[in-house]
Amino acid sequence: MNSLERITATLAFRKSDRVPVIAQVFGHAAAVARIPLNEYLQNGDKLAQGQLAALERYGYDAVFGFLDANVETEAVGSTLYYTPSHYPVVEKHIFTAKTDPASFAVPDPLSAGRMPEVLRALRILKNEVGSRTLVVGCVLGPFSLVTQLLGMEQALYLVQDDPARLASFMDFATDTAICFGQAQIDSGAHLPLVFEPAASLSVVPPSFFEKYDFPRLRRIFDAFSCAGAVANWLHIAGPIIPIMPSFPCMGVHIAHFDYCVPPLEAIKQLPTTCLDGNIKSLTFLHSSSAEIEAEAAALLDVFSERGGYILSSGCEIPPESPAENIAALVRAAVRKAS
Amino acid sequence: MLDARMQGLIQAIVQGDSKEAVRHAQNLKTCGITAQEIVVSGVEAAMSTLDEKCTLEQFNLLEIMLAGRAVTEVMKFLYPGDSAPAGPVKGTVVLATLEGDVHDLGKNIVKTILTASSYRVVDCGKDCSLRRLIAATEKEAPLAVGISGLITPVIPLVRQVKDLLVVHGLDGVRVFAGGAALKQSSPQGLNVDFVAESAFDGLHYVNQLAGHSAAGGP
Repeated sequence: MNSLERITATLAFRKSDRVPVIAQVFGHAAAVARIPLNEYLQNGDKLAQGQLAALERYGYDAVFGFLDANVETEAVGSTLYYTPSHYPVVEKHIFTAKTDPASFAVPDPLSAGRMPEVLRALRILKNEVGSRTLVVGCVLGPFSLVTQLLGMEQALYLVQDDPARLASFMDFATDTAICFGQAQIDSGAHLPLVFEPAASLSVVPPSFFEKYDFPRLRRIFDAFSCAGAVANWLHIAGPIIPIMPSFPCMGVHIAHFDYCVPPLEAIKQLPTTCLDGNIKSLTFLHSSSAEIEAEAAALLDVFSERGGYILSSGCEIPPESPAENIAALVRAAVRKAS
Repeated sequence: MLDARMQGLIQAIVQGDSKEAVRHAQNLKTCGITAQEIVVSGVEAAMSTLDEKCTLEQFNLLEIMLAGRAVTEVMKFLYPGDSAPAGPVKGTVVLATLEGDVHDLGKNIVKTILTASSYRVVDCGKDCSLRRLIAATEKEAPLAVGISGLITPVIPLVRQVKDLLVVHGLDGVRVFAGGAALKQSSPQGLNVDFVAESAFDGLHYVNQLAGHSAAGGP
C-alpha cells in the first residue's frame, strides 16, 4: 500500500498494511532541508523542498502546504514581524473592534500576501508525490482568523460588547477560509485541514462553539466537499470533549485530538469518525526516541481493534525537535504492523 | 452584612460585566465602604469564585478575560491613577515573557489575578531579556518570578533563570512557569520550582509562598 491508499483505507475503517503516520512537521522541515526558517516561510519552492526532504527522511504519510498561522491575516492587510529563526507574529492587526468587514474584500489567493506561495508549494507537492502521498493544505478556522485579524483580547471582548459585529467578522473569516481552501484544492491539495485552535474549550465555552463556530465550520466543510476534498479534517488543539459529538454533523471525517483528550474518551465521543493524535508536542523535545516509540505503541494498542486511526502528535512537533524522535513515530507504526 | 452587600459586585465580576461591576463599586463607596474593604470582600471574593470554577474545569479564556477586564475597571475606579491597591500587599511578584516570545496574554491574566488578590506585580513585559529579568528581581526582592511562555524556543532561556538567580545571590526567590508551551513540561524539565496548569494554579503557588492558604487570603 502507498500512503494515499493507507489513509483512504483508514478513513473507511478498512484494514491497511499499517497505521498511517501524519507527523505535524512544519517549521522542522526547513531544518531537515537546511533552509533558513524565514526563507522557508516566505517561498513556496522552499516550503515544498523542505516538506519533500522531511518526507524522504522520515517516510511518513502526508506532506503539508502550510507556512504558519498568519498567512490569512497578512493577506487581508495585517503587518507581520519576521524574525530569522521563529515564526512571524502580527505586529499590527488590520481590524479594530469598529471595523466594518464589508469594507474589506476577501483576499485573492492568487495574489494576496503569501497565499500564492502556499499554492505554488501545493502544486509542486502534488506533482512530486501527490499520486502516492496525502497532500494537505491548511486554512485557519473562522474564530482563529478573527483573533488574528483583531488580536485575541479584542476578539474575546467582542463576544460581550458587540456580538453582531463578531458574527460579521466570522462570516468574513469563513468566506476567506472557503476561498483559500478551494484554491488549495484547485492547486493540488487532497484536502485543506481546518486549523481552529481558538475554538478550544480552554479559550471559549461550548455555547460559543455551538453558536458561532458550528454553522460556519459546516459551511466551510460543505464547500470543501463540493470542491473535491477527499475528506474534511478538523484540528482543534486543547480540551474539546464536550463539542466532539457535533463534529460528524459538520461533515468532519478526520478529527484531531490533543494530548489532554484521553484516547478512550475520543473513541467514546466519536465512535465512527477517523481520529488522529495525540502525543504531547513537548515530548518530542524532552523525551528519548525510545520513550516516544513506547508512547506511540501504547496508542496503537488502544486503536488496534477499532481502526480508523492516524498516529500523530497532539499539536505541531516543535521545529527544534531531534530527528530521531520523529523517526520513532514511524518506527512504532512499522513495528506494530510487522 | 458586608458580604451580602458585595454580592452584586461579585456577580458582575464573575459574569464579566465591567459596567455593572463599576456601578456596584460606586454604590458601595457611596455607602461609606472603603476601597480596601471592596477589594478584600468583593474583588478577592469574586476571584475565589472564579478560582473554584477553574478547579472544576469549567473555565476558559473568554470568561477570565471578561472578568479580568471588570476587575481592572473596578480597580481603576477605586484607585484612580494608580494600578495597585493602596493597602498592604501580600508580597511582590516579578512577571515576564522571555526574549523571542511576544505573546503576553497569559502573563497579563496572571498579573490581573495576582493584582486583584493584593499582590504587587512588577511586569517586565514581553520579549524580556534574562538580563532585564534578573535586574528587576535584584531590585524588587520578590517572593517569586513568574515566566509565561507560549512557544517552545524560549525553553532554553527558562532553564537558565534559576541558575542565574543563584549566581546573583537570589536563591531565595522561587521561580514558577506557565503558558501553553511551558505547562506541558515539568519543574525538572524547565529547572523551575513550580509549573502552573492555569493562572489560578500560579496564584495558589504564590499564596503558599506568602503563607496564605486560599485565594482570598486572610
